[in-house]
Amino acid sequence: MDTAVHSRSTRTPLIFLGLGALLFVFGSWWGLFIAPAEQYMGDVQRIMYVHVPTAWNWMLGVIFAFICAIAYLINGKPKWDARMEASVEVASLFALLLCIQGSVWAKPTWGVWWDWDPRLTSVAVLLFAFLGIIALRNFVEDPVKRAVWSSVATIIASVDLPIVYFSVKWWNSLHQQQSTPQTVSSAFHLPLRINALAVLFLMTGFIMLRTRVAAARLSEEMAPPPMVPGPAGELA
Amino acid sequence: MIAALRKELLLQWRSRAQFLAVFVFGASSLLLFSFGIGPNAEVLRQFSAGFLWLGLLLSSTLTLAESFHDEMENRALEGLLLLPSDPRALYYGKAIANWLQLTLLGSALIPVMVVLYDAGTDRIVALLGIVALGAAGLSAPGTLYAAMTAQVRGKQTLLPLLLFPLIVPALLASVKATSLVILGDPMDSLRAWVVLLASFDAIYWALCGLLYGRVIED
Amino acid sequence: MTGVVTGGWGYVIAAYAITSLAFLIYGVGLIRRAGQISR
Repeated sequence: MDTAVHSRSTRTPLIFLGLGALLFVFGSWWGLFIAPAEQYMGDVQRIMYVHVPTAWNWMLGVIFAFICAIAYLINGKPKWDARMEASVEVASLFALLLCIQGSVWAKPTWGVWWDWDPRLTSVAVLLFAFLGIIALRNFVEDPVKRAVWSSVATIIASVDLPIVYFSVKWWNSLHQQQSTPQTVSSAFHLPLRINALAVLFLMTGFIMLRTRVAAARLSEEMAPPPMVPGPAGELA
Repeated sequence: MIAALRKELLLQWRSRAQFLAVFVFGASSLLLFSFGIGPNAEVLRQFSAGFLWLGLLLSSTLTLAESFHDEMENRALEGLLLLPSDPRALYYGKAIANWLQLTLLGSALIPVMVVLYDAGTDRIVALLGIVALGAAGLSAPGTLYAAMTAQVRGKQTLLPLLLFPLIVPALLASVKATSLVILGDPMDSLRAWVVLLASFDAIYWALCGLLYGRVIED
Repeated sequence: MTGVVTGGWGYVIAAYAITSLAFLIYGVGLIRRAGQISR
């Protein structure tokens, strides 16, 4: 059994992960301890330094998944399916984190765990949509069908995102609109940007590694069964 | 496409007992919602639109799945592909048939809603129009996903799992519009919601038709 | 929205901790899975 662990091909993602982790620690430390407290929201607002970078990168992840889906439907190359599988999973993780971070922010700020903020609500809807896609992939065994169907589903779900956002925004505007602060003064920019870059590196590393895992499984599925000599020397 | 549509309608007419069963399912959902909320006439009336659409949504998973049952029984799905017909024609034929069925179902549930929740209104035409538009929003992606999940094990859970997050905008718009018709529309915002619903329908009727061919190819 | 939200450090720590933990667990899991890919 080949136990070589980290071949050259995993070095790049590991670099991304390492750099990302370092930057994340640095950016978070800055945001938590050095940046000034916000005027109205006090220290709770520091959650922004992890929430906003996660949100930006989630958005990038969804866009990437969408691109991979289209690429696969156009040229049928399995590597696009592997990348799509990876980015759908990573985007789902980020969406889940966004919902948790958002709740943790909302409770001390608005007094409720969920305030139906249009952005966060759209994230929640898309989280369920992507979880459905993951479930779909688990139920389909034929790799080509799985790839085609989940690409179609990913395209449909991604196209839905702006529609969901606008509809929830209008739906919620009839009630008291509690908006999270939009304008950010420059003292807050630096830790925000550091963490945004940090999470971007982390996400890139995650998607690269997860793609490798997906690609490995795909090549196993599509390869002809190997002829392996059994214990008594006969072929399996 | 007309031929495909005619075939679908014929199949639906033949299984009209099934339609009745789904209607009973929908009506009993509406009843259960009132038990869940309590005998508070004021509150029930307030949320009657929501209950109607939730009931219709739940029932749609049954009718949508059923619409591919015959193909699956006789493996006719692959047979259809051998015919020299455009997969898009097949899609629209089936989607329109499903749309008609859902519109009929929604319309049939309206009197149930009126009775259970005291949610009457004079604007019957507007109400029916919204039901038609909302049903269209359900049937476009619903037909696509039903085609997919019919071929897969675990189909009963997968169809709602995939469909429900997707149709959130249609659900919101339909409920809001219906609610405005029933409870009154002081700020005249009905048009905006109808436009949203119609846009959703337009986008998904186009997109799903485009993608359908890939879903049923071998 | 009135006044200043005081305290709340517990929530801040929770947000960072959950996020960091999730990244860590997912990352380490991926590294192990990728390492097991036999050539």
